[in-house]
Amino acid sequence: MTPQSLLQLTSQKCTTGCPILDRLLYGGIPCDSITEIVAESGSGKTQICLQLSLHAQLPVSHGGLAASSLYLHTEFPFPFRRLHQLCLSFRSSNAHHFPVNDNPCDRIFVQSVHTADHLLEIMSKTDPFIENSKNQVPVRLIVIDSIAALFRSDFDNTPVELKRRSSLFFKISSKLKALAKRFNLAVLVTNQVVDLVGPNEGINGLRIGNLVCLHTSGRRVCPALGLAWANCVNSRLFLSRNEEVIREENEKSNGQSCDFVKKKMRKLYVVFAPHLPETSCEFEITREGLFGVER
Amino acid sequence: MEIWRLPISASQRGKLISAGYTSLSSLSSISSSDLARELNVSESEAMNILKVASHSRGSETSNASCSIVEGAQSAWDMLHDEESLMHITTSSADLDNILGGGIHCKEVTEIGGVPGIGKTQLGIQIAVNVQIPNDFGGLGGNSIYIDTEGSFMVERAFQIAEACIEDMSEYNRFLRKDFQECKIKMQPQDILENIFYFRICSYTEQIALINYLDKFLSEHKDVKVIVVDSVTFHFRQDFDDMALRTRVLSGMALKLMNLAKRFSLAVVLLNQVTTKHTEASFQLALALV
Repeated sequence: MTPQSLLQLTSQKCTTGCPILDRLLYGGIPCDSITEIVAESGSGKTQICLQLSLHAQLPVSHGGLAASSLYLHTEFPFPFRRLHQLCLSFRSSNAHHFPVNDNPCDRIFVQSVHTADHLLEIMSKTDPFIENSKNQVPVRLIVIDSIAALFRSDFDNTPVELKRRSSLFFKISSKLKALAKRFNLAVLVTNQVVDLVGPNEGINGLRIGNLVCLHTSGRRVCPALGLAWANCVNSRLFLSRNEEVIREENEKSNGQSCDFVKKKMRKLYVVFAPHLPETSCEFEITREGLFGVER
Repeated sequence: MEIWRLPISASQRGKLISAGYTSLSSLSSISSSDLARELNVSESEAMNILKVASHSRGSETSNASCSIVEGAQSAWDMLHDEESLMHITTSSADLDNILGGGIHCKEVTEIGGVPGIGKTQLGIQIAVNVQIPNDFGGLGGNSIYIDTEGSFMVERAFQIAEACIEDMSEYNRFLRKDFQECKIKMQPQDILENIFYFRICSYTEQIALINYLDKFLSEHKDVKVIVVDSVTFHFRQDFDDMALRTRVLSGMALKLMNLAKRFSLAVVLLNQVTTKHTEASFQLALALV
């Protein structure tokens, strides 16, 4: 057993496709580590996952991993149409990297997952799959969207069942990390939120990471799957969306007036990460994808 | 040397033993008047006994601790040893105060917390701070970092190393006037080179590595701290045999304690927390306690 030399151990990152988000994440999603994105439904988790699967195919000089990706989805249906839309805009803005008749969608391998045991089964088959892919375009990104859906219905709320659920978390996380280390993969996992009801004390006020409370849509929330799963991931990002009422100055023919407009404000927070400070940035979702907004 | 070997009369010997003086070291710190009173003899006789005792002691090879059992140390010697050992600073004065000066060598320290609270950061900080040279109050040793979770980021360690060097330069400028002599020659790359980094992916690898550390440490004598981040991650999966898990964990803990004592280094274990279900209420507890 020899120690690894730290000077040769550089962590590669996969760009998100937006320079503002990349700056927040110090380059993008890191390889050899599990990054979790937590948000309520409709906040943009799947958008980010699709965007990353496309941008992972960019060459390393442009921040990508020059790799194909494995997309494991648990919620049906898989958004094929949206992927196609993103693919078109991706190809038009990065045309010089790809040959003419190439379809980036060819390099995204989609697999549906039904239960936690099914996921374990798939992961044992993933080893040879990734080995074989080394010959063409190697797989360097695994996306699991979403991990919460696998666990939220199968287990009762008794201590025995919860314990079984926790040990499954550690098993899955351990396998994912071993895969990530062996093939230098980036792993992206999405998670849902649960509402937090009650006083902010004791175990209810348990603060995980930097943020005091996570708020979205005006409610106080916390990530699903509890403390056990929080121990299994390396970094956690939180997407929030809120409706804000802002004043907008409007020039009209009879002088200036101002309107109160409801605007959707979306923010990306870093909850905890070993290499990132506690920061946040605003973003918006357009037809071309998810992009940060500089204010 | 025992009392019965001393060249004194049998009655004097009998009086010494019945008064409780069985070894030479017990006679070393008593004055002749006290001895005379205890033995009920004249003071000149007592002075004679002490002179004979000190002669016999001088003729032997002086062993500082005349001990009853081989390898045992008196508590006074142990206190001296402990006070002379240096501590590893955590770069936070308050935390150093709570720990009694810093992380102690020859001891195993366990640090636990919720995810995102800063365990890995503290671990990296300790692995860097142990390398502070002796001139600046540090140990000037190397470190072993055992990563079980994959949260060690080299760029973060580089940042911490740079900050440590900047700290030392400021301390330099503040306290010493002669720049040329005490210039910091360390670079962040040197600090990273002195961290021996092991990444393990299963509990069998973890056990194998801890067993191998014995050999590694005898080859690398300047390692002064072992950081394990985190020690229980691989043991929280489903184990078919829980008794095996307990045995393995306690064996590992014992081995680490032995390594700490033998090689005079500090062992820092980072642990996760879990919720404990006690009487329908939930509490936080360190994992696998």
